[in-house]
Amino acid sequence: MSAPTTKGVILTPIFKNNPIALQILGICSALAVTSSLSVSLVMSLAVIFVTAFSSMFVSLIRNHIPSSIRIIVQMTIIASLVIVVDQILKAFAYEMSKQLSVFVGLIITNCIVMGRAEGFAMTNTPALSFLDGVGNGLGYGFILMTVGFFRELFGSGSLFGVTILETVQNGGWYVPNGLLLLPPSAFFIIGLIIWVLRSLNPEQVEDNEFVMKENTQPKEAV
Amino acid sequence: MGIRQTLDNLEPHFHKGGKYEKFYPLYEAVDTIFYSPPSVTKTTAHVRDGIDLKRIMITVWFCTFPAMFFGMWNAGWQANEAIAAGYDSMGGWREMILLTLAGGHDAGSLWSNFVLGATYFLPIYLVTFAIGGFWEVLFAIKRGHEVNEGFFVTSVLYALILPATIPLWQVALGITFGVVIGKEIFGGTGKNFLNPALTGRAFLYFAYPAQISGDSVWVAADGYTGATALSTAYQSGMAALQDQYSWWDAFLGFIPGSVGETSTLAILIGAVVLLGMRIASWRIVLGVFLGMVAMSSILNLIGSDTNAMFAMPWYWHLVVGGFAFGMVFMATDPVSASMTNPGRFLFGALIGVMTVLIRVVNPAFPEGIMLAILFANLFAPLIDHFFVQANIKRRVKRTAVVAEETT
Amino acid sequence: MAQGNNSIKKILTVAFSLCIVCSIIVSTAAVGLKARQERNQELDRKSNILAVADLYEPGMDVGKEFSQAVTAKVVDLETGEYTDAVDPETYDGFQAAKDPAQSRTLSGERDVAGIGRQEKYSTVYLVGDEENPEQIVLPIRGQGLWGLMRGYLSVQGDGNTIGGITFYSHSETPGLGGEVDNPRWKAQWEGKEIYASSDSMDPAIELVKGGASDSTEVDALSGASLTSRGVTHLVQFWLGEEGFGPYLEHFREGGDSQATASASPSDDSEGV
Repeated sequence: MSAPTTKGVILTPIFKNNPIALQILGICSALAVTSSLSVSLVMSLAVIFVTAFSSMFVSLIRNHIPSSIRIIVQMTIIASLVIVVDQILKAFAYEMSKQLSVFVGLIITNCIVMGRAEGFAMTNTPALSFLDGVGNGLGYGFILMTVGFFRELFGSGSLFGVTILETVQNGGWYVPNGLLLLPPSAFFIIGLIIWVLRSLNPEQVEDNEFVMKENTQPKEAV
Repeated sequence: MGIRQTLDNLEPHFHKGGKYEKFYPLYEAVDTIFYSPPSVTKTTAHVRDGIDLKRIMITVWFCTFPAMFFGMWNAGWQANEAIAAGYDSMGGWREMILLTLAGGHDAGSLWSNFVLGATYFLPIYLVTFAIGGFWEVLFAIKRGHEVNEGFFVTSVLYALILPATIPLWQVALGITFGVVIGKEIFGGTGKNFLNPALTGRAFLYFAYPAQISGDSVWVAADGYTGATALSTAYQSGMAALQDQYSWWDAFLGFIPGSVGETSTLAILIGAVVLLGMRIASWRIVLGVFLGMVAMSSILNLIGSDTNAMFAMPWYWHLVVGGFAFGMVFMATDPVSASMTNPGRFLFGALIGVMTVLIRVVNPAFPEGIMLAILFANLFAPLIDHFFVQANIKRRVKRTAVVAEETT
Repeated sequence: MAQGNNSIKKILTVAFSLCIVCSIIVSTAAVGLKARQERNQELDRKSNILAVADLYEPGMDVGKEFSQAVTAKVVDLETGEYTDAVDPETYDGFQAAKDPAQSRTLSGERDVAGIGRQEKYSTVYLVGDEENPEQIVLPIRGQGLWGLMRGYLSVQGDGNTIGGITFYSHSETPGLGGEVDNPRWKAQWEGKEIYASSDSMDPAIELVKGGASDSTEVDALSGASLTSRGVTHLVQFWLGEEGFGPYLEHFREGGDSQATASASPSDDSEGV
């Protein structure tokens, strides 16, 4: 791989190497928090913040981290940042933190953060690591916002809480799709996003795990 | 040979370089409805039967006819009864067709009931066929393969497990989900691990629960709420159910419910043909049945003070809800079921047990067969895997020869 | 990574200093923001109470409005009298229900709402004059389809007419049972009556399918019969004899409440 560039580390994680769509990381929070756009947005910002700063801090002290305890060191940094974010949300965006409930805390277990710290920040400069964290957070946020857009629009008929499609329950015409309010629907949407992304970038498609043997090809009867 | 000639005349246009090259799948689909496909396996290794996939599917389609025609009659009869009891009819164009063809609402008239039921069922079926067919052809053209005849069956099964009053746009959404997410995403017929018809139904079930379940959706009369036998039993207990319907009512199908699922008798007629022609696996059907009997008997024995469903005996489980329909037509889907013979027993039993468990123990879903079959679909490959592995091990032991490396 | 990093001394130094730095950051954040967070929780609770009493407007000063309009009192559920045994400002009935000393076990038929344990004292919030309140906000909770639903119910000064209901915590299916949050559904509670007749102690209020037809009926949530059943049960439980029934009796009888209050709640024992 060529040396990472500033532009590259921010942009590639969004479409080319998306942490959710290609690496299939961080799925659980993407399922849980995407039923409304505003919650998705806050979650995305929280993850961008944590990924960026944890990568930066890990990178700052990367030359001093003993390899035997490096995972613990990374975890400590990430966990501290997550707690700080959680505390700030509770203090300044209480409503939001109520809706996000445990999922802010669970950013600790989000493999994207850990993955960037271990995979990128340990070998790159702080500035670049910071941007890489922002980029991967953006990639995560991009998927979250897309999923949130569809789920909120078709599940509740609104965007950011503003009614777009007047639902039947409120006297309108739109029959909201209840499936989209349930977390599993995010699986379908993420699946469809992956389908679209891989149709656009065929090089993302994995090789077949099994290849049919030549002689099992159907032959024209004689 | 008029049709053959017409088709042969048309054929060059659809071949490579022809005017309609892209639409070859469509041509092929029409052609093979009338005639055997040109390419059939003829070598000894594969021939088991002269029948081809399309013939199988058409047979299954015919086997749903008793349930379908009875279902249409029953949907009309339920509605006419309710209207006779003072409820308003739904009105609209259905009313006009009814008045033109049958003269009016008359629960005693076979024809009036049938026509009214048909005005509900046929649009559902047509929408299913048109929308589902559209996706099917789109993917066939895009991927350059023939239209798969499996859709023939999927569409009719899907239409039969919907309540008569479902809005048609929901029908369209459901079949879209069933065909695209349930089947085409995984590569089309033969590669789908879920039953597409049930996938579509499950989508509607979770997306529009208020419209597809509850009490007011089953009978096509305005404001009429008639609970299905299952939800009556669930809410008020077996005694209330038996007050309302006799077992024979439920067996013959004079109860509210999805169009095709009410008459166990009509379904069994189809089952006899399917099993007789060995299209449906008797092992699966037997497995489902035994699993259901076993689980419901166990729950009968355990008993419960608070949950009336515990007391439902197996012969009631058989006739209420979609159990019979699911057992005969859905569980036996050759693609999504287990393929090994012992695996089929296990697969069937899993469905039977899960159906009863979901019906009885789960607080939210009164009907269990749909979820049970989808659940078992997921396990089918695993079940097969174990039986195949066991078989390999036994064989190795018997011959004392190390099996040829299979990679 | 230099080889020297893996010496015991280096490992300990890095681990130790990292821990120090991180714990300072975390505890600063936690301690520094604590007051604000607690105020948020308090405000959230208060705005729920104001909302159910129909006093809440977006952007208002919740704390100020609450202290002006609302008085918290603690009621002994068994006698229906106010009690001074605990401080209404700090007492938390929900926590108390977990403490065997301050609560009792409910079982079988008496546990209509499915809560398992019930506290002895409960906080009520009086809107308006203490002696003759306009509205009484009662904390309620009970089992829905998937879990515990917690909320407030406001009763008007006559002890019989409902002012409003809200659930601030529940886990019902979004779109079905979750419609308990729907303002249109909540709005129809206003003006409903709890008891069918003035001498009845059994709450008649219930959720009915297919359209409410009289003053003690509320439309059930469509497609959510079990959530609806749960709401009926918990409302009836908390307004009945095991809940706030004896307390509401005071208001229903008007002036000579004391006599009836001391007479009615005698049957059930405490030591259960």
